[in-house]
Amino acid sequence: MSRTGDDLDRDLADLPPDLRWREWLRRIEAVLFASAAPVAREELGRVVGQGASVDLLIADLAVDLMGRPYEVAKVGAGWMLRTRPAYAPAIRAAAAAEGQALSLSEFDLAVLAAIALHQPVSREGLREIFGRDISRDLIGRLATQDLITTGPREPRRGAPHTFVTTETFLAAFGMESLRDLPDPEQLADAGLAGPSEA
Amino acid sequence: MPNAATTDPGDPASIAPLPGWITSGRGETPEDVAFLSGAALAHLHLVALSPELPQELWRDRLALRAAEASAGFAGRREGQGALRDAAHLTKACDDPGPAGAILRAWTRAVARPISVGPLAKALDGVTPEAIALCLDAAGAPVGRAAAVLEAVLADTPRAETAALILADAALSLALGRKHLLPLLALGLKSRDLRLTGEALQQACHRALVRAAAQAVPMAADLARRAARLRSVAPKLRARGAAKAVEMFLSQDALAPAALPLPDRAARRLCDRLVALGAVRELTGRDTFRLYGV
Repeated sequence: MSRTGDDLDRDLADLPPDLRWREWLRRIEAVLFASAAPVAREELGRVVGQGASVDLLIADLAVDLMGRPYEVAKVGAGWMLRTRPAYAPAIRAAAAAEGQALSLSEFDLAVLAAIALHQPVSREGLREIFGRDISRDLIGRLATQDLITTGPREPRRGAPHTFVTTETFLAAFGMESLRDLPDPEQLADAGLAGPSEA
Repeated sequence: MPNAATTDPGDPASIAPLPGWITSGRGETPEDVAFLSGAALAHLHLVALSPELPQELWRDRLALRAAEASAGFAGRREGQGALRDAAHLTKACDDPGPAGAILRAWTRAVARPISVGPLAKALDGVTPEAIALCLDAAGAPVGRAAAVLEAVLADTPRAETAALILADAALSLALGRKHLLPLLALGLKSRDLRLTGEALQQACHRALVRAAAQAVPMAADLARRAARLRSVAPKLRARGAAKAVEMFLSQDALAPAALPLPDRAARRLCDRLVALGAVRELTGRDTFRLYGV
């Protein structure tokens, strides 16, 4: 499967340098705009010239978007376009983003949080945490929304899969890395509700 | 030379322990500290030349320790056992999880000769340009490594693993090594990573002495175990046993399923090697066992 599009002129040799750079910048913005998930550097590299630094282009794009209500955000090892938090009330009021909202119940969220904090963790591990069985349906719901994926198998009878969070999970909750999660000890001290210092 | 007695003088290939004055020296001034780390690095250089030492295995096991330390710096609690499990129980299509990813980065970084391409593959999210810059750092070995560490952490304060891998890569290159030898990660402490300039360089010197105090005994131990494994190798008649021995001599741990033998034969071979005292079972479990020299 070639996603490069063989006829895409990456190098744009016939353009003067500044226009070439501008065109690359637009392509990066277009790719990010079209994607709901973070886009990795490697993938962005496919639409610009061989020697062009994706990081520099991203930095320029960030400057370009300075006055806009959306920004380019680094998520895990990639980037995505995302509306600035200040506009969240407006978007919510218009209910324009309803279809994109995660469909998670409160308990789904609790399980997702437990997976994030204890990963890699299996259903058995989750049962120990919650004191009850976590249904396959619930795990399936989190997996279809690409919030979790399968991790290493657990070295016990039946070799159950463990679950780990994805980059989509980070993006959905506005985190750059798992380090943005509150410290488990902090959580315990604060009775699960304390503000995180990180 | 109180340590001379512990070296077998009849065996020129045996690995000499680190002279006691290097690790017990109360070097407090910057000159003392730098002198001791220089002595430790010079000794490591000789150790690394030993023909008895299984180099790849040594690097791989140091990578495991470095990964354990890196996981700690990242606020995770996985020990060596959990890291090994993450590496060996993750199928190709699955995600190794955050700690497994740290070990994977280290393992990949030590497996191939140091260069931009393989390091870019090992370090998700670090640009090839940034890696090239780190590898081109100038100056004396420890100064270079400290500069790389500081530069990467200034840019991305949470990328401890990447920073340590690149710093150790810069150090290994400066010492004329083709492959990355994980050292700084073994010796540095969490608070050292927040230091800069002269203070960070001092911390790196101290870390290298501590790291050598781990790496040299490990090398001696591995050389002895490898000699044992090589000596029993001719007794193994299973098809694929020679290749399996080679794998044990280059990797920290292996699941029987990873050996180039049918399942039952692989398990029998592992049991036999354990019985012969040539490899150890590393997990203490009855199932999902992992074996290593």
